[in-house]
Amino acid sequence: MVDGAAVRVQGLWKRFGQQVAVAGIDLELPAGKFVGLVGPNGAGKTTTLSMVTGLLRPDQGTVEVVGHDVWRDPVEVKARIGVLPEGLRLFERLSGRELLAYSGRLRGLPGAEVDKRAAQLLDVLDLAGAQHKLVVDYSTGMRKKIGLAAALLHNPEVLFLDEPFEGVDPVSAQIIRGVLERYTASGATVVFSSHVMELVESLCDWVAVMAAGRIRTHGTLAEVRGDAPSLQQAFLELVGAGGRDHGSHLDWLGGGAR
Amino acid sequence: MTVEGSVTAVVVRLKLSLLRNGLRQSAGRRAAYVFSVVVVLLIAALQFLGLIALRGNTHAASVTVLLLAVMALGWAVMPLFFPSGDETLDPTRLVMLPLRPRPLVRALLAASLVGIGPLFTLSLLVGSVIAVARGGAAFVVSLVAVPLALLVCVALARAVAAANIRLLSSRKGRDLAVLSGLVIAVGAQLVNFGVQQIGTAGLGRLDPVAEVLVWVPPASAVGAVDAASAGSYGIAFAQLALSAGALVLLLRSWSRTLTRLMTSPDGSTLQAAEPAGKGERTSGGLARLLPDGRTGTVMERSLRYAWRDPKTKAAWVTSLAIGLIVPVFNALQGTGSIYFACFAAGMLGIQMYNQFGQDTSAFWMVAMTISSTRDAYVELRGRALALLLISLPYATLVVVLTSALLNDWATLPEALGLSLALLGAMLAAGAWSSARFPYSIPQEGYKNVAPGQSGLATVAIFGGMVGAALLCAPVIALTIWLNVDPGGDRWTWLLLPVGAGYGALLIFLGLRLSAPRTARRLPEILAAVSKG
Repeated sequence: MVDGAAVRVQGLWKRFGQQVAVAGIDLELPAGKFVGLVGPNGAGKTTTLSMVTGLLRPDQGTVEVVGHDVWRDPVEVKARIGVLPEGLRLFERLSGRELLAYSGRLRGLPGAEVDKRAAQLLDVLDLAGAQHKLVVDYSTGMRKKIGLAAALLHNPEVLFLDEPFEGVDPVSAQIIRGVLERYTASGATVVFSSHVMELVESLCDWVAVMAAGRIRTHGTLAEVRGDAPSLQQAFLELVGAGGRDHGSHLDWLGGGAR
Repeated sequence: MTVEGSVTAVVVRLKLSLLRNGLRQSAGRRAAYVFSVVVVLLIAALQFLGLIALRGNTHAASVTVLLLAVMALGWAVMPLFFPSGDETLDPTRLVMLPLRPRPLVRALLAASLVGIGPLFTLSLLVGSVIAVARGGAAFVVSLVAVPLALLVCVALARAVAAANIRLLSSRKGRDLAVLSGLVIAVGAQLVNFGVQQIGTAGLGRLDPVAEVLVWVPPASAVGAVDAASAGSYGIAFAQLALSAGALVLLLRSWSRTLTRLMTSPDGSTLQAAEPAGKGERTSGGLARLLPDGRTGTVMERSLRYAWRDPKTKAAWVTSLAIGLIVPVFNALQGTGSIYFACFAAGMLGIQMYNQFGQDTSAFWMVAMTISSTRDAYVELRGRALALLLISLPYATLVVVLTSALLNDWATLPEALGLSLALLGAMLAAGAWSSARFPYSIPQEGYKNVAPGQSGLATVAIFGGMVGAALLCAPVIALTIWLNVDPGGDRWTWLLLPVGAGYGALLIFLGLRLSAPRTARRLPEILAAVSKG
């Protein structure tokens, strides 16, 4: 964190056939902050996060994480980041505990240390009771939590979470939140994507708004919100969905005659 | 009444549109759909003609009764193996609609009578009746027996499916479905055996079995037609009554299950109470025997997956079974050669192909931890070692067993050497093709290749096989040369160390060559294995 940027992205492009998923992103994410990447479905959040974490090769552009190029210097980068992708499987035929033991040892941590950390993480994330159950039998919330535990196990400097609260029940969400807040308080960086504005507003210090493959705006929460009463309002105006009104079309809906 | 009638009409129409929608797919799938329908109709027509030809045969009744019993068994088992085959079959889809059980049962039963399966069964039943019935009374009985037997078959399928819907919609049920291919394969072997028995001993073999089955619904319905033909009206009536009674019981049980299913919460949302501490034993014991670090970790996961992942398990069981059956059965029949024992090595070596495809999109967890060629090498080596842990002793065992059966101990060393060389070649080619031609293995259903990747899979498998054969060629050539050369017999034992050494060298070189490619292509491999 030489100059205070955890992630530096320059001129990032990705096309899938005719469709442009990410259309030239330049972005610097500050270190030690809770960073939210928000945008509607299909804005390119997952594509961006996949390229930033080295899981998807960009057509163009560079990505640096804590000062190291993701594609030229994977040794330095991969040891320093934790990832919770969306829409990718885990090794689901392992139990929760086995999954953590597996991913910690793959990362080269000593076995005893992995087991100690895994036990604590399982405990804090309220998964201790289900630790011997196969992950394939976990609920959505439990999967997100075990994925988070696997991402945190090697104590990364930057944590990338793609929709960590999607489909998660309020109790699990609160637990995940608590762990993440504790983690950033120690100086680490969390980058997460979401389309739930209330959540981003209550969690993040710093926000980047994406739509149609581009960054619309970025900055501290206050800067992005501006004069709008809430982030939700500011967001709707930014992506151009603010003034839409369908009121007169569904006048038959509700009350009166069926 | 009108309301009830309309429910039946709606559900039947739904079934008809589902059938019609089979035609509204992509050209390839439409062709497959039409083709399968035509094949089923052809088989139905053929069996119909066959049954008519059977008319007058003394064993006609035995054959038809047995056929119907097998058919009923098929109806009972089908929904367990193909749970998603019929969408109108799943009552949980209708749970939000305000329907009473009785009209619903009637509607679903009517809908089940629409389709290619019932049509097939109907042709079997009509054919059976034509084969068996003699005299007016028998044909009158058939008028009751045919619809009754058809209804029993359909109701049986529905009752079984409804009773097991919890299992079928759970993970264990889906796992079971993946393994069902094996059951069908074994079943086919049994049928084959049975047909051979009949071929040698004649249709009379069936009579004792049929004597029992004639009292088991729905076969008893055809039994009734046969009894009526013989003038035993009392027996005919009893057999018809048995089938009718079975139908009533099945419908009642089905209706009860439906009511329960539609009024109680869905099992998939309930937390299954899991006894704590389960699975504790399996971890630890295995890990202690494996090497430390990434190698042992990768090996442990590979071995766990061979046991726990239904697709991987099915592939392993197939490889192990065929690798043993081909050489041993050939040896038992006296037609075998000890060189057939190399089949085991070849079949097991296949498991090395498409390693990352076996991971599915969970490969990202591996990709995140590979940041150098060295990491990729250790990863691939761990997988190869896990495979060798099973395949090395197994291939050796098969070679020893085959030579024992053939009593050909002199050829054992060279056959074993050849096996080991082949195993090495397969592993080397498999590692390389895993890195070069990865493709997705869909986790649901029976397909082993995702749509659009079959070309890739073909290249990976057949290219890999040819590659392995070429790699193995020097050892094969040496074997042939030593066997052809008059003085070569003294030196054939040399093939064992040469084959083993050569195989080990191939594995080493294969892993070395595959590792940089794997490390360079991580995102491309992930994209290739994440489809489906």
